[in-house]
Amino acid sequence: MTSSKIEELKRQRQLEQRKRGNQKPYAILLAAFIVVIYLAFTHYNLRFSSYWLIGILIGITMQRSRFCFCASFRDPIMVGSTSLLKAIILALFISTIGFFIIQYKAILANPNFAIHDIPGHLHPVGIHTALGAVLFGIGMVVAGGCASGVLVRIGEGYMMQMVVLVGFLIGTFLGARHFVFWDRLLVSKSTTVYFPNYIGLFPSLFLQLVLLAALYFIADWYDKRNNIMTTV
Amino acid sequence: MSEYRLDCLFEACPIPLLKALKQLEKMKIGEVLILHTDHNCSITNVVEWTKKQGHYIDYIEISEGEWEIYIEKAK
Repeated sequence: MTSSKIEELKRQRQLEQRKRGNQKPYAILLAAFIVVIYLAFTHYNLRFSSYWLIGILIGITMQRSRFCFCASFRDPIMVGSTSLLKAIILALFISTIGFFIIQYKAILANPNFAIHDIPGHLHPVGIHTALGAVLFGIGMVVAGGCASGVLVRIGEGYMMQMVVLVGFLIGTFLGARHFVFWDRLLVSKSTTVYFPNYIGLFPSLFLQLVLLAALYFIADWYDKRNNIMTTV
Repeated sequence: MSEYRLDCLFEACPIPLLKALKQLEKMKIGEVLILHTDHNCSITNVVEWTKKQGHYIDYIEISEGEWEIYIEKAK
């Protein structure tokens, strides 16, 4: 939606503009570089070659879609918009089905499974989960991006987030160094909860999908009725 | 016609949006706000919010990685 005043300003600005350099050669060079590394990996380490490709595809998707975990949890409260939160719920919806297929196959192959044999990040849940989530959430909103968001923005040349990267590295380093302490204090004492153990694989899939769908409709309804910032 | 300029370079989400809506509060209908930013997330952010509020909005890239967002207060 635009107006005549804005069109006029844009026209003036476009006249003042210097001609921009062509970025296509860089794109071709980078693509060639990616392909070379990929071919090298297929030769030496097949596993790394798929990591390399999936990583790049995730990066492109995140950059082009402006997907941002930070905004998805902040915007509903700050500006009453849930379009990114809905995107996250949809992503969870899809990955629930994907993980169901993977875990179903794993359980079929090995009916007497132990919890840590199941593919996916099944970790103990307890007070440390909540504590870590609050800390991460505060840090993410102050820094203006979660881990992946910060990396994507540094990649596209947003200078401010280089400062965040320094803090990010210090935090990861300290976390990895002191993990044993936290593990002994909290993590190892908590239990791993795996729903299919209690109610079966199919019912837990159904339950999770129903809950996600409910959250999606609540988020949609919230977006339509909310204009929190209009009164500030 | 009066214009207001806001410098939001190096400001992370959601600061540009918050600055914009504070400034819009003070402005009269028909006045234009020009937001200068290098954070393209805040473009999505500001554009979505402004459209929802019913103001006029558009933006252009003025050099590599720098944008100007134009908002005309409509109500």
